[in-house]
Amino acid sequence: MDGRPEVPRCSLCTGPAVLFQRQSGRHLCSAHAIADICDRVAETIREESMIVPGDRVAVALSGGKDSTALLMLLHRLLPLWDGVSLVAITIDEGIAGYRDETVRSAELLVNSLGVEHHRIAFEDLFGATLDEYLKGREKEACSICGVLRKKALIVGAERAGATKLATGHNLDDEAQSVLMNVFRGDLSRLVRNSGSDSSGRFIPRIKPLMKIAEKEIATWLLLNNAWTDLPECPYSRYALRREVRSILSTLEYRHPGTMLHLLESKKTIEMRCAGALAPEPIRHCRLCGDPCSGELCQLCQLKKTLGR
Amino acid sequence: MKLLLPDRSARVLDMPPSTLEAILLGEGINPLEVIASRDGILITEDTVIGTGDEIRLLRIAHGG
Repeated sequence: MDGRPEVPRCSLCTGPAVLFQRQSGRHLCSAHAIADICDRVAETIREESMIVPGDRVAVALSGGKDSTALLMLLHRLLPLWDGVSLVAITIDEGIAGYRDETVRSAELLVNSLGVEHHRIAFEDLFGATLDEYLKGREKEACSICGVLRKKALIVGAERAGATKLATGHNLDDEAQSVLMNVFRGDLSRLVRNSGSDSSGRFIPRIKPLMKIAEKEIATWLLLNNAWTDLPECPYSRYALRREVRSILSTLEYRHPGTMLHLLESKKTIEMRCAGALAPEPIRHCRLCGDPCSGELCQLCQLKKTLGR
Repeated sequence: MKLLLPDRSARVLDMPPSTLEAILLGEGINPLEVIASRDGILITEDTVIGTGDEIRLLRIAHGG
């Protein structure tokens, strides 16, 4: 349009800006936004020693935006590490009208990247779909799904021979988790670090997108023509996370940097608490033998509660 | 100017040129929760939107 006001320009070149990073006040054009996000993911992986030469990294790929971006980014960064391979694990919980589309999206992605893909269905692993598990218990959807998904991901990662399990949690997710654990008064969960396990009993989890905001991830996908408009999980309306997301998003808008500060606070608390909290002794589940902290693991506890 | 909202509905606004941020706040939308494009190109929230512009909004925060 003639006479249209000038668009904001990239802080690093003269290109039109597509991303505004509020905390630093920096504008980035398409090329610099793509490079910046890729570089920051590589930096997080390096800083936290998330991937080491020889690792076989299983990416938890739901087919949604975060896991799609994670797999694409790791695939691009792969040449940085010697002997590192990727494998994707997709969990099909059995959620009618939702999961089929995201699973299809995941399959398209792994085929285009040539990444080995393992698909684990709740129905095969637990004998029922999530929809069946949740009949009359919809309000508990996220906690029940969380326990089942965790087990399914571990099974998938073990079947794939993975040494690391990468999830697509972004900065918004991580900040929400910090706040939710504070609201619940759950200090042990707040300081739990699932990224390291010197005992070798667990496959360490890594979160390479933990410092990238949700909006940046969506922008990165759009700039790479990889955005797919997918349906929302029908159970998400019951989640506490949804309310926390809204509160935090408002705070982040009014006070840029809030989410990053929450993450930094968690790290500080972790360091201060190191050695102060008695580590939970590792025991073995009385029913299935999986490592756990109580008499029963979370999964067997859940099955008992649900009468399955 | 015309806003194409994430739910695929449209809203015509009769207002002078304003930043995208001011427009979104006026509509009760947190600028961090959407991505906007004009003529198929992504724009930042401090972009000034002209009276004849059509802005498409994409909601990014999805559960699941």
